[in-house]
Amino acid sequence: MKAVTGVNKLTKKTSSINITPWLFIGPHLLIFLIFFLVPIGFGIYISFTEWDLISQPDFVGLANYKEILFNHDSIFYEQFQTGLKNTFLFVLFAVPFCILVPLFLATALHAKPKFWKIFQSLFYMPSLFAISAVVIIWKLMFDVTYGPINHLFQLNTLWLRNQPYAWVSLVIVTVWWTIGGNMVIYQAALNGIPKDYYEAADIDGASGMQKFLKITLPSMKSQILYTVVLTTISQFNVYGQPLMLTGGGPTNSTRVLLMNIQQNAFGSGQSIAGIASAMAIILGVCIMAVASLQFFFLRDKK
Amino acid sequence: MGFKLLPIEWVTTNYVELLSDNTSTPLLRWFLNSLVISVSHTLLVLTVVSLSAFAYSRLEFKGKKMLFSFLMGTMMFPAVVNLIPLYKIIDTLDWVNSPLAMIVPGAASVFNIFLVRQFMSNIPIEFDEAARIDGANDFQIFSKIILPLIKPVLLVVSLFAFTGSWNDFLWPSIVFSDIEKMPITPGLQLLQGMYQSQPTLLMAGAFVAIVPTFVLYLFAQKYFLESMSLSSGVKG
Repeated sequence: MKAVTGVNKLTKKTSSINITPWLFIGPHLLIFLIFFLVPIGFGIYISFTEWDLISQPDFVGLANYKEILFNHDSIFYEQFQTGLKNTFLFVLFAVPFCILVPLFLATALHAKPKFWKIFQSLFYMPSLFAISAVVIIWKLMFDVTYGPINHLFQLNTLWLRNQPYAWVSLVIVTVWWTIGGNMVIYQAALNGIPKDYYEAADIDGASGMQKFLKITLPSMKSQILYTVVLTTISQFNVYGQPLMLTGGGPTNSTRVLLMNIQQNAFGSGQSIAGIASAMAIILGVCIMAVASLQFFFLRDKK
Repeated sequence: MGFKLLPIEWVTTNYVELLSDNTSTPLLRWFLNSLVISVSHTLLVLTVVSLSAFAYSRLEFKGKKMLFSFLMGTMMFPAVVNLIPLYKIIDTLDWVNSPLAMIVPGAASVFNIFLVRQFMSNIPIEFDEAARIDGANDFQIFSKIILPLIKPVLLVVSLFAFTGSWNDFLWPSIVFSDIEKMPITPGLQLLQGMYQSQPTLLMAGAFVAIVPTFVLYLFAQKYFLESMSLSSGVKG
């Protein structure tokens, strides 16, 4: 503190407030205010309005929420119910594999098999690809006539146009795309476990499985919690895969809520931004609720 | 015709055909748009983040703790709520179909500030004090002493910023309707609609879109693999 007073002579003269720190944080705060704080407040407000994105929003109170939550005859009720249900189903199907597959691969790589560095890069790299490129690649893989998958397994499956194959395809693509991030977190966690734990277990005659369940998993608990919560949050925002891979089909069974939100607010025809905002807010509340529940049940209880 | 694992014939005509179509699917144009957007976004993030992380880590001012906790708290707010109102703000600024719509808003992120601030807290405060005694001001301490020392974490932030911006899909598909102006990710969606029956052309397009992040990975592999453990708070 002593040093600071010596330096800022200029500002000291005019006022007792030191403006230098505000020059440092100012640029971020300005961007944060305009592109984060204001939109959030505005977003909550427009969910209580009837609005077409162009004219003045018309305050309608809770009407949008009533419409999508309770009005059984409304098309938006239907959209919301199916969309939210499908989003939850996707999270339920995808998240366990997005955790287990990277965990398995990280454990396998940790044994340092031959060429493990090459495999590590192969597993990691898809997470750096854009989702639209990923889907184009996989749409070809799943193709019924010239797709390698049907060819390899001698199948004639219409992967993207039948259930449950459509869900299976979406989960496969999502897992392939997201392995990298969680895998390297687990690898780092595995590296951090002291070797003597395993040596002690060896002396006691523990089996490989026992060591994994009693030493490895408990030691990675905080990383697993972190990845479960973050993976769940990001999978709730699923959009690109169903949009480009299944188009939301067959018969809307993979049409997720974000697709309906996007369609209502920005699709062709008149924008129904008020209803779409209400949907977005409920989705946001669901995300926060699920993440908090996970955090509550998975954290270290002492 | 039987199935072959390797292509029957290697050709470059797919790329020639794709790159020469300049009207409905200007792939080269999209690629350049993406490049301009991602590079500018990365530079903006680096500037904004290193400046404010410095203040939150090493300068004293009224309300610093409260402000920083508030910023951290907003991180748990789901981004999906922002989508529609943010579009309105972009529209008001007349940034629809402008690269600015993708360059600026992402710089509001708090996560990177947290990351860089953590890294800075490991640099001894004596460095600053010694420089102050020599007559350096806050800006000189920032640029001459701290900035060179935080290069590793800034590299990680750059990788996040660049790949995040390059791969963003939902947001650009909302703020770009002009085919000439859009980046490559929503472009590929148009490509998919246009060349549904020509898988080789589609694959060529997808390949062009993943080249930059792929090359980046080859050069900064170590940082990519360490970045995730850095962000999850685990030391590798």
